Amino acid sequence: MLITSIGQGLLWAPLVIGVFLTFRILDIPDLTTEGSFPLGAAVTVSAMLSGQSAVVASLLGFLAGCVAGWVTGILDTKLHMPSLLAGILTMTGLYSINMHVMGKSNVPLLTQKVLTNYLPATWSSDLQTIVVGLVVTGVVIALLIWLFKTRLGLSLMATGDNPAMSAANGIYTDRMVILGYMVSNGCIALSGALIAQSNGYADIGMGIGTIVIGLASVLVGEIFLHGRQMWVRLSGMVVGAIIYRFLLTVAMGLGFPVDDLKILSAIILVVVICLPILRTKVKTRQQLKRYLKQIGADEHESTTSSLKRQASPEGLLSRDGK
Amino acid sequence: MKDVSLTIEPGDFVAVIGNNGAGKSTLLNTIAGTLPADAGQLTLAGHDVTRKSVAYRAKWLSRVFQDPKLGTAGELSVSQNLTLAQRHTGSMSLRRYRQASQDATYRELLKSLNMGLEDRLTTQVKYLSGGQRQALSLLMATLSQPDLLLLDEHTAALDPQTSRQVMALTQTIVETHQLTTMMITHKMSDALAYGNRLVMVQDGQIKLDVRGAAKANLQQDKLMALFAE
Repeated sequence: MLITSIGQGLLWAPLVIGVFLTFRILDIPDLTTEGSFPLGAAVTVSAMLSGQSAVVASLLGFLAGCVAGWVTGILDTKLHMPSLLAGILTMTGLYSINMHVMGKSNVPLLTQKVLTNYLPATWSSDLQTIVVGLVVTGVVIALLIWLFKTRLGLSLMATGDNPAMSAANGIYTDRMVILGYMVSNGCIALSGALIAQSNGYADIGMGIGTIVIGLASVLVGEIFLHGRQMWVRLSGMVVGAIIYRFLLTVAMGLGFPVDDLKILSAIILVVVICLPILRTKVKTRQQLKRYLKQIGADEHESTTSSLKRQASPEGLLSRDGK
Repeated sequence: MKDVSLTIEPGDFVAVIGNNGAGKSTLLNTIAGTLPADAGQLTLAGHDVTRKSVAYRAKWLSRVFQDPKLGTAGELSVSQNLTLAQRHTGSMSLRRYRQASQDATYRELLKSLNMGLEDRLTTQVKYLSGGQRQALSLLMATLSQPDLLLLDEHTAALDPQTSRQVMALTQTIVETHQLTTMMITHKMSDALAYGNRLVMVQDGQIKLDVRGAAKANLQQDKLMALFAE
């Protein structure tokens, strides 16, 4: 069960990394995800059905995602739309595009060679999935680590952190935001391409709920692996993707029907957002109790409760004071 | 603002004062590019920049914000912030930004601030104090020796002692590099003590523009009287 989760998690990892790029680096919750994920799947499957190799088709899927990200970026920066609305518009528009690309709502692969077929057939399907996932996710992470070591990557991080300061230092922030959207949605579409090949079909509805899956995985990953260095943060995203898949597998093992997985995803997201807030609250209360005990002021219960209310806990969603 | 015509000569250190709502921030934001000019023309070092973006104007001008949090990127380290301030490297470059030789230069520069920042190159800026952030912001703004340095009430958010420290630092840096500077302040004493030129803005217009000896002889009570008019 765990092995299957690792394989599936690695295929979902590019999606989580993509969501991480917009959500954590650019500080934007990008709903384009819900459209670019099936777009990657649709483009890849269609390309394979028309004779392209799995590698070329997957790259085409990635590029299609970049174009979707570019559209959202233009809506956000050049047309000054709120980023949430920009994402919703692209996502909605992509539904029609995806239908046109696929021609019908579900397109199965026939005898086409998918990425895992490049590996020895003697390997188990779990092992094949893990190797393909490791290679693709590894390449994505390596390229991103390189990007964030360049001046361009630094400008990208600065833009997400403090746009006013970035512009004052000569960074064209619009271009950075557009670039961020493109790379992010490229990764998300690539994940869609991998999942479609793993499932053996592309489906118009496969994007539903992907933003929740992505956000939940980002937050889960950050609970397990957190640091400032980019390779730690990106590895955390892979860990998040795998743990998330594992949680879903466990839930299905407990007898949850497939239709209930979406609400389960939403609940997991709520829990991982609330957990750190609760933890901070409990910690503050304990520290306060210990401190009051030290100075021998146990009897002032009233001050404790008023102080407790003042301590504002910070959740994972909020960023620390800049 | 209406009918404003202001020419700043190279080497000028202009102090701009005015009541709240007089238009001094509008003047500065129009120069910086955060507010577009409805009419008129703006030239920087001989280039017409009236319709240009903030980022484009950064070729010639730097700015220190009033809020210490605005001038620096909190999630990034001290050395990363300093790298961002090095304009000539190009913000879209695919070169690695971190070089070991650079750290020594940065450490030297930070030492001159006397804020204990030289040992905190890798610290995230959000953990620094307001004074430290503002000093860093000042250093960043002057790193590429801009043609025009804009100071937007940059000591207003600091406590009195830090405020004096940052003001003294400003004076030193501006003098060493002979920077052309425009400083907005609401402290009359600072406006009188610093700079070779004083501009007073009222009701969106320039009410007073004195320089050199006339500025040096200006008294606080006389300035107060002008305010009241």
